[in-house]
Amino acid sequence: MRLFHSLVLALAALALPALPALAADARSELITKFCGDAAAMGEAGRSLIPLAAEGTPGDRLWARAITTALIDRKFICDADGAVVQTPDGGTVDAATQGKRQVAEPSRSPLLNLRNRALFETAEAALALRSAPEAARRAAALRALERQASTLPEQLFEAAISDEADPALRQQISGVAQAAALNSPNIAKRIGAVQRIAAVPNRRALALVTPLTKDTAYAGNADFKRAVDDAQASINRGIAIGDTLAIVYNGLSFASILFMAAIGLSIIFGLMGIINLAQGEFIMLGAYVTWLVQEGLRHVAPALLQWYLIIAVPIAFIVTAAIGIALEASLLRHLYRRPLMSLLATWAVSLFLINLVRVTFGTQNLNFVTPSYVSGGLPLIGDFIFTWNRMFAIAFALATLLATWALIRLTPLGLNIRAVTQNRTMAGCIGIPVRRVDMLAFGLGSGLAGLAGLALAPIYSVNPQMGQNFIIDSFMVVVLGGVGTIIGTVVAALGIGQINVLIEPMWGAVAAKVIVLLMIIGFLQWRPEGLFAVKGGRK
Amino acid sequence: MNAVWSDRPFLVMLASALAVAVLLVVSMVAPFGPSAYLANFIGQLAAFAILALSLDLIWGYLGILSLGHGLFFSIGGYAVAMYLLKHTFEMTGKVPDFMQFMGWSSFPFYWEGFGIFGYALLAAAVVTLLISGLFGYVSFRSRVGGVYFSIITQALVYVAMLLMFRNDTGFGGNNGMTGFGVVFGWPIGERSVVIGMAAVSVLVLASTLITCRALLGSRFGMLMIAARDDETRLRTLGYDTLLLKLAIWCLSALIAALAGMLYVPQVGIINPRLLSPDLSLEIAVWVAIGGRGHLIGAVIGAVLVNSIKFWLSAAAPDVWPFILSGLIVLVAFVFPNGLIDLAKFKFQKTLLSRGLASQSSEVR
Repeated sequence: MRLFHSLVLALAALALPALPALAADARSELITKFCGDAAAMGEAGRSLIPLAAEGTPGDRLWARAITTALIDRKFICDADGAVVQTPDGGTVDAATQGKRQVAEPSRSPLLNLRNRALFETAEAALALRSAPEAARRAAALRALERQASTLPEQLFEAAISDEADPALRQQISGVAQAAALNSPNIAKRIGAVQRIAAVPNRRALALVTPLTKDTAYAGNADFKRAVDDAQASINRGIAIGDTLAIVYNGLSFASILFMAAIGLSIIFGLMGIINLAQGEFIMLGAYVTWLVQEGLRHVAPALLQWYLIIAVPIAFIVTAAIGIALEASLLRHLYRRPLMSLLATWAVSLFLINLVRVTFGTQNLNFVTPSYVSGGLPLIGDFIFTWNRMFAIAFALATLLATWALIRLTPLGLNIRAVTQNRTMAGCIGIPVRRVDMLAFGLGSGLAGLAGLALAPIYSVNPQMGQNFIIDSFMVVVLGGVGTIIGTVVAALGIGQINVLIEPMWGAVAAKVIVLLMIIGFLQWRPEGLFAVKGGRK
Repeated sequence: MNAVWSDRPFLVMLASALAVAVLLVVSMVAPFGPSAYLANFIGQLAAFAILALSLDLIWGYLGILSLGHGLFFSIGGYAVAMYLLKHTFEMTGKVPDFMQFMGWSSFPFYWEGFGIFGYALLAAAVVTLLISGLFGYVSFRSRVGGVYFSIITQALVYVAMLLMFRNDTGFGGNNGMTGFGVVFGWPIGERSVVIGMAAVSVLVLASTLITCRALLGSRFGMLMIAARDDETRLRTLGYDTLLLKLAIWCLSALIAALAGMLYVPQVGIINPRLLSPDLSLEIAVWVAIGGRGHLIGAVIGAVLVNSIKFWLSAAAPDVWPFILSGLIVLVAFVFPNGLIDLAKFKFQKTLLSRGLASQSSEVR
C-alpha cells in the first residue's frame, strides 16, 4: 500500500507540469474545503465526483492523491494550506506537490461517517478513472456498483472510453446502465431500462421497481411502457431462474444420494445385507481425499490443485480394500442371518467413527478449493451454475456410466447379476459365489468412498458426516428397488428433487417427513420398489 | 413352550426381580438399604429391561427387527414429562424452561389435561397405538419385512428426532424437557420418592415378564413362533398373520412406551437425543447380547450392557464405543444366541426343551 501511494504521488509529480490543470486557486479552494467543517468537507467530497468524470488526467491524479491521503489521515492542514505525508516520512504541499515542512499550527482532519462514505465513493470514482492497475480499477468498480444509480453517467461513459481492458470495459458498461437510469434524457433512460431488463435478476428488479414511483413514470407513456415491460420480463426471468435453481440443486443433491446409495443397492441386491457402515465408507473416502491433499501439499505442491482428481483411484482402492477386508473377516459368516449382519455392520460403523474421531479429532477438515470447482456461471435470473455442484453432478454421471459398464459389460458384472438373480443356481453352474460377494462388497464400498470424495468440496467433513446421508440413501434403495442401477438413479432423482422442492416451502424437516410418508405409501403399491429384479432374493 | 413351573431360569429371574422390588419397598421407609443413587440406577436399568423385553417380543419371537423402538419409548417419555411439568406447574407455579425460552406465557392447547396422570397415560397409549397401528398395518399389509422393515423403522425414528429438534413444536425442542419438581404431589428428588419410583419400575418389570411369559405360553405364543419360523406356511394353513403381527407389534410398542414412562421421571430429563437411531439400534444390541428369543436374555442383556456403559462412560468414555462394537462382534460370532449360550451347559435340559427359540435359524 505504501509503495502504491508513493507510486501515485510520483506519477502525479511527473504528470503535473505537462498537462493543463485546474487553476491553482481552484485547487487551493478545494484544499480549504478539505480543511473546513463537516459541511464544507461534504461539499468538497461531492465536487470530487464530477472531477473524476470530467477533469483532466492530471487533476484526477492529484485529486486522488489528496483524497487517499485524507482517508488515510495522511492529510495535514496547517497555516499555509495543507501538506500530505509521503511514505518516506517527508511532507509535500497538497496544492503544488512541492516539498515543504509543516507550518504550525497543524491538524489532521477527521472524516465523519457520512463524509467517509462520500470520500470513499469519490476515491473509488477517481481510482476507476486513474488507477494504473486493472485490478485496482476493477475493485473500484465493485465499490461503485452498489451505488451506481446515484452516480453521474458521464463518469462511467468516460471510464468506458478510456478503459483498455476489454473485460473490465464490459463490466463498467454494465454498471453504467444503472447510472444511466438517472439521466435527464428520457430516451437514454428508456435505453438503460431495456438494457437492464436484458439481464433479469433480483438486482435488476431492485433497480427498476423504484422507477414506478418516478415522476417520468406518470408523465411519459413511453417510459411507463418501457418500465412495465422491463418489470414483466425481469419477473419472468427470475421465475425461470428460480425453477432452474431448484432443478439444479435437486440434481446435485440427487447425485450425492445416488453416489451414496448405489453401493448400498448393489450389496443389498447381492447379499440381502444392509450395510449400516456405508455412511462411514463415505466418511473414509472424504478422509482419504484429505490425506491425499495433505500428502500433495508436502510432496508436490504444484499438483495440489488436482488433488480431487488424483484422489479418485486412491479413495476407491482404499475404501474398497477396507470393504473387502470387512466382508472377508466379518460379514461372510453372517449371510444366513441378515438381521444380525445389520447389527454387525452397525458395530463396524461405530468402530470406524470412533477410530477416526480418536485419530483425527472431531473438528471439520479443511479442504483447498481448486479453481475448477469454485465460482460459477450466472445464467438467467439469480440462478448461478456453480462449478462445485456441477463437479458433483458430473462425477455422479461418470460413476453411473462406469458402474453401468462394469455391471453390464464385464465378466464380473455378469457374475454379480447372476448371483443377484439366483444365488444357488449361479453357484451350481460354477460361478465362484463367495468371490463375487467379496468383490461386489469391495465395489460397493469403493463407490461409497468416491461419494465421500465428491462431497469433500461441498460438505463439512468430520467423523459424523456419514450419518447424515445414510438414512436418505436407505430410502433411495427402498424406493428404487434392490440391486437395480436404473431404480437407484430414478429414486435418487425423485427424492432429491422432492426434498429440494419442499424445503423452501415448509423446511427441511417437513421435507424429510413427507418423503418418508410418500415412501411408506409407495411401498403399499409396489412393495419391491420401483424396479424390482426378477427372480430376486429368496 | 413348556409349563411355567418347569422353566427354572425364568422363575429365578422373576424371583430376583421381585426380591429387588421388595427390598426397595422396605428400604423406602427403613433407614437402611440402598442409597437413592443406587436405587435410581436400579430403576433405570429396570426401565431399560422393559424396553428390551418389548423388542425381544417382536424380534425374538416374531422375527421382526424394529430399529425404531426409541420412538415408542420417547412417546411414553414425552407424555410423562408433560404430566410432570404440568403437575409441577400446578403445584408450585414453576413455569417450564422451554416456555421461558420461547417466551410463551401459557401452555399450548394440546397440553390441556396433562396435569392428570391418567390422562397422560391414556394419551401415551392412544398415540402409541395410533402410530404403531397405522405404521404396522401399512407395512405388514404390503408384506414389508426383514431388513426392509428394519430400515424403514429406523427412518421413522430419525424423522421423529428431526421433528422434535424443532423448537416451535411445544415439546421443548432441542433442549427437551427438564426441571421436574413434583410427582403425584411428592417432591421428586426425595430419597423415598426416588426409591419408590425404582420399586415401581422393578415391579412393572416383573409384571411385564409374567405377562409376556403368559402370552408366549398360550396358543397365541405358539402362533407367533410359527409365524417367525415359516410365515408362508402359517398363512397357507389359513391363519391371518397380518392380525397376529399387528397385535404383537402394537403390544410391543405399548410396552416400550410404558418403559419410557418409567425411565423419564427417574433420569429427570427428556430430549430428542432419545430418538436418535443409534439408541434404537442399541436396544437391539442389548437383546442380541443377552439372548434373542429368551425373555430373560433380553433382561440380562439390557442390565449388563447398561451397567458396563454406565460404569465406562464415567471411567473411560472414549473406550465405550470400542467395547460396544467388540461385544456385538463377539456375540455375532461366538454366541449366536447371546450370552444365554453360556448357560447352555448349566441349563442344557431346560434349553433342549425350549429348543425352538435357540435352534431355529433366523427368518428373513
